[in-house]
Amino acid sequence: MASIVTARGLTKRYPGVTALDGVDLDLPSGRVGLVGANGAGKTTLFRILLGLSQPDAGTVEVCGVNVAEDPIGARNQIGYMPEHDCLPLDQTAADVVSTFGELGGLPVRAARQRASEVLDLVGLDEARFRPVAGFSTGMRQRTKLAQAIVADPALVLLDEPTAGLDPSGREEMLALVDRLGSFGIAVVLATHLLDDVARVCDHVVMLDAGTLVTDAPTEVLLHQTGRVTVDVGPLDAARLHAALAARGLAVADDGVGALEVTVAGDGDLDTIRDVVAELNLPLHKLTNRLTSLDDVFSRRA
Amino acid sequence: MSTTTGAVYDRGYRPYDGPRGGRRAAMVALYRTSLRRAIGLRRPWRQKVAPAALLAIAVVPAVVNVGIGYLTRGTPAEGFEFITYREYLGVSSALLLFVALVAPDIVCPDRRQRVLPLIFARPLTGRDYGLAKVGAIFTCVFAFSFLPQVVLYVGQMLVSDGALDYLSDHTAVLWQVPLAAALLALFYAVLGVALASLTGRRMVAGASLLGITLVSSAISGILIEADAGPNEEIRTGHPAGLLNILATPLRLRDLVFLGRIEETSPLSGVTGAGAMSIAVYVVVVGLCAAVILSRYRTAE
Repeated sequence: MASIVTARGLTKRYPGVTALDGVDLDLPSGRVGLVGANGAGKTTLFRILLGLSQPDAGTVEVCGVNVAEDPIGARNQIGYMPEHDCLPLDQTAADVVSTFGELGGLPVRAARQRASEVLDLVGLDEARFRPVAGFSTGMRQRTKLAQAIVADPALVLLDEPTAGLDPSGREEMLALVDRLGSFGIAVVLATHLLDDVARVCDHVVMLDAGTLVTDAPTEVLLHQTGRVTVDVGPLDAARLHAALAARGLAVADDGVGALEVTVAGDGDLDTIRDVVAELNLPLHKLTNRLTSLDDVFSRRA
Repeated sequence: MSTTTGAVYDRGYRPYDGPRGGRRAAMVALYRTSLRRAIGLRRPWRQKVAPAALLAIAVVPAVVNVGIGYLTRGTPAEGFEFITYREYLGVSSALLLFVALVAPDIVCPDRRQRVLPLIFARPLTGRDYGLAKVGAIFTCVFAFSFLPQVVLYVGQMLVSDGALDYLSDHTAVLWQVPLAAALLALFYAVLGVALASLTGRRMVAGASLLGITLVSSAISGILIEADAGPNEEIRTGHPAGLLNILATPLRLRDLVFLGRIEETSPLSGVTGAGAMSIAVYVVVVGLCAAVILSRYRTAE
């Protein structure tokens, strides 16, 4: 797959801090998770991709455009959803999104039409003529996403899109991000929640203190855990625990009503499936256990 | 992707393959949005009152003058002018109040609500941003000082004995009025945007614009008074008049209309006052432009 972002030896220093230290990247077109703790260099990388910040060393290309040589050309291809509040509060969502469509180069009529389509897409069809000031956090995040994709970019940079959202809002935002890939828009999703990345991204890039820790397809990362979380509800957890242990699997309670099972391969996964079916239990969740960044960091260290 | 639910899920998203503008289109879009905001379009009615009322008030002297012209036709008072084109532009200096309200309103929230990083993530530069904002204010001030003049001109022409005669007698104002109005509008626009770019608070920006112009006017007045003898009736011939920022665009207006500084101005009689007035104008505009450029060189 062609690279949507290519970086070589990318270095950015601020007084007293090295935000990026010789980072090489080849991000595939698709949904890429950019993971790192706060201060790992995610936002700095975004600012460099947008040509808003000049790297101290190294080069970066976005969609084949050298950002240092043609920042305007690069920005033409990119939609950006910042982490912080960034919406003009006294304007309606429709006005905000169509204005940013126009700023992205769309003619007035096309911008208004696409604004209404895109707001419909993110689930704000009925609220679009209300001022943003009256929006909930979830609605504002959707508006921010809408303005990022209104001009039909080749690439969207999403900075912590699920920050501050309640569980259902987070699910919906992740579902939207998941769908962007199917629209032919490449996504780079910056987050410190590895769970979000595991849900929607095909590829993971991990930064720690400005250096590249991992650059691999999500599957590869997830396979390395060797543990899965099985959730059949807290009432039946004990029965399942006993039944799985009887089949020789290492089982532990994860402390919040689900079980954590160590699996050696697909055969063990089949066993879990069969046991759940035999006991006639409702299977709420069966996922690779990869809940915190600490896990991966500690494994890498 | 699932194909069974695709019909529902993919509703609404279509790739855009129509024409796409670049940097210039983005700048024009920002200019248009700012202009709309300045005159209150797509905003609650409260925001429309001020510009509409201001335009209405600005037209009043023209209507009065034309009315007098109409009523005094064929009487000995015919030809009496309630207000001249030059004086009428002086009325436009009241538009400073409008700039103090509107420039902060289209500039400060972008900084305060952190919209700037989003704007600069689009294909335009800080210079484009400054140009768009200055252009929006310029357009408003120019229109608000030029339109009443058009009303005055057309009205006078219609109530005069011969429209063609009026036209041929008043050809000079056809370039003087727009030039002087443009100089006034540019001065107010760069000053307003430059001060508004320094703060995220609208009140502070508006107050500092009025403050700087009024204080400079007051200081200039005090210096002139201090030097004048107690019995002197006319305060002229004093270079401290140059310090008066409020009067700077009006002196340029006098240069456009009269070719010299007007007799009642404190600068009247000062050698090279015209050139120095132009220099002050250029320095203020240049300084403000530099402030704007440096404030928007990078986002945040």
